[in-house]
Amino acid sequence: MISLAGRDIIHSWGKFVLTGFGLGLLIGVTLSMAGIYRGMVDDAKVMLDNTGADLWVVQQGTQGPYAESSSLYDDIYRSLLDMPGVLRAANVTYLNMQVNHGGHDVSAMVVGVMPGEPGTPGHPLYLIAGRHITRSHYEAVADINTGFQLGEHIQIRRNLYTVVGLTRRMVSYNGDPMVFIPLKDAQQAQFLKDNDALIQQRRRNADNPAFNRPQTPDLVDALNASQSTNTYVNAVLLQTKPDVFPEEVAESIRRWKRLQVYTRPQMEAIMFNKLIDKSAKQIALFLVILAIVSATIVAFIIYTLTMGKTREIAVLKLIGTPNRTIAGMIMQQSIGLGVIGFVVGKITATFWAPIFPKYVLLEPADALRGFIAVVLICALASLLAIRAALKIDPAEAISG
Amino acid sequence: MAESNSIGIKIQNLRKRYGEGDTAVDALKGVDMQVGPGEVVGLVGPSGSGKSTLLKCLGAVIEPTAGKMTLGHDVIYDDGWKIPDLRALRRDKIGFVFQAPYLIPFLDITDNVALLPMLAGRPNAEARKRALALLHELDIGHRANAMPSQLSGGEQQRVSIARALINQPPVILADEPTAPLDSNRALAVIRILNQMAQQYQTAIIVVTHDEKIIPTFKRIYHIRDGKTYEEPGEGKSFL
Amino acid sequence: MKARTLALISVVVALLAVFVFVNFRSGPFAAIRVTVASVEKRAIAPALFGIGTVEAQYTYKIGPTVASRVKHIAVQVGDLIHAGQVLGEMDPVDLDDRINAQKANRQRVASAVQAAEAQVQDGIARLQHANAQLQRYQKLLTTHAISQETVDIKRQEQRIAQAGLAADRANLDVAHRDLARVEADVKGALQQRSNQQLIAPADGLVVARDADPGTTLVAGQAVLIVIDPNSLWINARFDQLRASGLRAGLSARIALRSQAEQTFAGSVLRLEPLADAVTEETLAKVVFDDIPDPLPLVGELAEVTVALPMHSAVPVINKASVQRIDNRLGVWRVDDGELRFAPVTLGAEDLEGSVEILTGLNQGDQVVVYSERALNTRSRIAIVEQLAGVSP
Repeated sequence: MISLAGRDIIHSWGKFVLTGFGLGLLIGVTLSMAGIYRGMVDDAKVMLDNTGADLWVVQQGTQGPYAESSSLYDDIYRSLLDMPGVLRAANVTYLNMQVNHGGHDVSAMVVGVMPGEPGTPGHPLYLIAGRHITRSHYEAVADINTGFQLGEHIQIRRNLYTVVGLTRRMVSYNGDPMVFIPLKDAQQAQFLKDNDALIQQRRRNADNPAFNRPQTPDLVDALNASQSTNTYVNAVLLQTKPDVFPEEVAESIRRWKRLQVYTRPQMEAIMFNKLIDKSAKQIALFLVILAIVSATIVAFIIYTLTMGKTREIAVLKLIGTPNRTIAGMIMQQSIGLGVIGFVVGKITATFWAPIFPKYVLLEPADALRGFIAVVLICALASLLAIRAALKIDPAEAISG
Repeated sequence: MAESNSIGIKIQNLRKRYGEGDTAVDALKGVDMQVGPGEVVGLVGPSGSGKSTLLKCLGAVIEPTAGKMTLGHDVIYDDGWKIPDLRALRRDKIGFVFQAPYLIPFLDITDNVALLPMLAGRPNAEARKRALALLHELDIGHRANAMPSQLSGGEQQRVSIARALINQPPVILADEPTAPLDSNRALAVIRILNQMAQQYQTAIIVVTHDEKIIPTFKRIYHIRDGKTYEEPGEGKSFL
Repeated sequence: MKARTLALISVVVALLAVFVFVNFRSGPFAAIRVTVASVEKRAIAPALFGIGTVEAQYTYKIGPTVASRVKHIAVQVGDLIHAGQVLGEMDPVDLDDRINAQKANRQRVASAVQAAEAQVQDGIARLQHANAQLQRYQKLLTTHAISQETVDIKRQEQRIAQAGLAADRANLDVAHRDLARVEADVKGALQQRSNQQLIAPADGLVVARDADPGTTLVAGQAVLIVIDPNSLWINARFDQLRASGLRAGLSARIALRSQAEQTFAGSVLRLEPLADAVTEETLAKVVFDDIPDPLPLVGELAEVTVALPMHSAVPVINKASVQRIDNRLGVWRVDDGELRFAPVTLGAEDLEGSVEILTGLNQGDQVVVYSERALNTRSRIAIVEQLAGVSP
């Protein structure tokens, strides 16, 4: 027996391939949507991965440093280093801000990191160009998505920073690229007011008789100085020793240092339940709708293709073709269309994924799931067409 | 398959009623017909005469309400009884030739013809060989690899005759086979049908109202108001 | 028919080829693109980077020694002044009157001294007379011209005169001391009068004029701040983690915030013995070799790069290569396309990101410098010249 489906495909391959391409673009959109969802979740995950931390120490009673603001004295890390089980501790500040680059703003998350050896929590894990920060001030390592290039100068608040290194996939949970700068600069950027505000504050202090006393002329200067220093950080990142349970270390810090501590699973829960929860659900729902729409369109395409062959099917039935053969022909074509569509969809999704402003993560497992779904949907969709085909009266082939 | 003692096709008192009760319509009111092997008969009648219904019953597409039909050696219907697999019957025992050739557009003409034996489970190579031989017999062997759309109307009709013949059925039903053809080609088709009827000992029923070919039949069934009336034809030479 | 089949097959094959290609060029099946470099042996010149503000080594705060009012100020901010120059004057208010009173008082006390001196002279004369009388009466007694009782009376008179003289002398001493005190008072008042003048203690530049005539100031509050412009230095702070090797005498380059393109030569004057415990910074004073002209602004931000002595040549890599895996510092070495993690110990590093490898690598070893993603031993890698997105 020859393959009727195959012969039909070969006969009208142009139409078939074009339909497959159209279907492929639709499947590509669906796969991309799945990729956008995965990318969103992955952004949150890599943000945690990239810190290299086992524990996040934040202000008591807050869910910082990402979901809420948190501030700690920057010398707390020294006492944390003395806690049993703590291997490394590093201060870190996070500041969502607009970084000025050649006259326009780039949304970025500015991360203040302590100087240290590679692997210090908070540092970028790897570079794709340039070098790490070596000077304690005014150098920056930026994610490539910021569009910065080596040697460029960027403005963060009042200071110009030189981009000395580039990295990749160092993003905040909402996909903003990160810019790493030395901690002290970051503290300044975070807390130092603009010049006008500083001057106004000094004038207010000078006008306040309580501060500007003739007997103690230096008091107002001391006050001004104390108001423009910042000794706060947003969190302390801890790495625990390999042989301890992070939760145990966390518990003893919570108990004795009176600080809030989150372990990696807790931090992930905060990320997913508090930060990206709604947008992820939004995308997921849209993905479901898109999948349903795609399935419907596949069904209609298959149905229309089959209905265009009513006469041939009637003739086939009249000359005695079994239902099984006709059903097989329709289903094979449908699945064939689905496979072409999937391949085209996967290719297009892969090609346009990098154009998206946020990360699109196309997971092979998702692709496999998508493939199975496409085949199932095509098989199901063909059932509708098969049902219609089987209803065709062979008598239609006979005139009258 | 052309057994010498085949009776071709024989129907007795065939009745077909559409619908129930008051709205029931009797399309066939007891039709008798017999066409022997090797014989080509005409079936003519105006629209609404029951011609289509009769053709569908003969083609085992619809079942008659009552009456008996025998095809080759087999009883097909007998007063409400029918053989179980009409589709296989159509495949093996009945050949169809239509007004339009109705070839499968995505198969080349060899496979169009070979499809029936293939469906019956014959190996592809054997089926193709038989089909090719038949196409040569019908003088279109040189187009064996062409697609139906590349053929002229007459050529297509010859392919459809080949398809009808491939399983060497006891009966071939030809429904207005010459309608779209000019008179030379129409006569050529009739000539082929006669040749084949002779060669394969097949009973051929040609449904037509084509004045060009009616004179060629030796025997004609007229159908009017659900009944057939047999008349001798002119039996004019079509050569 | 054959052509159609061929066309279809070619389309399908092309699609599959692209499909396989995209699957192996992106996503988790793709090889991770990396750049590699060979370990080279060279000497690096480590340097330290610090930041600080321009300050003056000598700052003079000139003001009154007692609470008083500003009378006038002769200089403005920016004026260059010389040692000894009168810069202004405080209002003496009633100081002159008090000085006059003191002077009158001195005259009075001087007269009292004269009176006491006269008293002493008088006492001396009395004593001489009493002595003479006693000697005469004693002679008369030897001749028994007078009685013993008369001599005793004369001896008593002589002792009275002696005591009177002692009292007069004591009076004179008191008067002298009184005079000395009054004279000191007068001197003090005059001194105070002369301190009302604000006098430059050294050559310098007026950088602040904090009070204008009429302002009343407490003792010690500055009217003018004068710096020595030749003593400008940078009070620089170096992160303690990156300050090893910092010591006095090292040469330095200084960049001022207002003239970022230009650097000035300088040197480390001294390392402060006290570090800043809060900011974890080591403090150092860096002086200019030549004070720039125009003068750098006091308080201006300055970046200081201190060059450390050149090291000897050892294997050197870009520090971007160094990763911490399972708590070990090391680099990804490429051996015949295979990745191997080589633990290393690091030496000194310079500001360009190069770091010395003390152990773990040899000259000529190929190591991964940059990678698209974090690597592990099972990673498939594709070596490229440069990673995507980086402009050359």
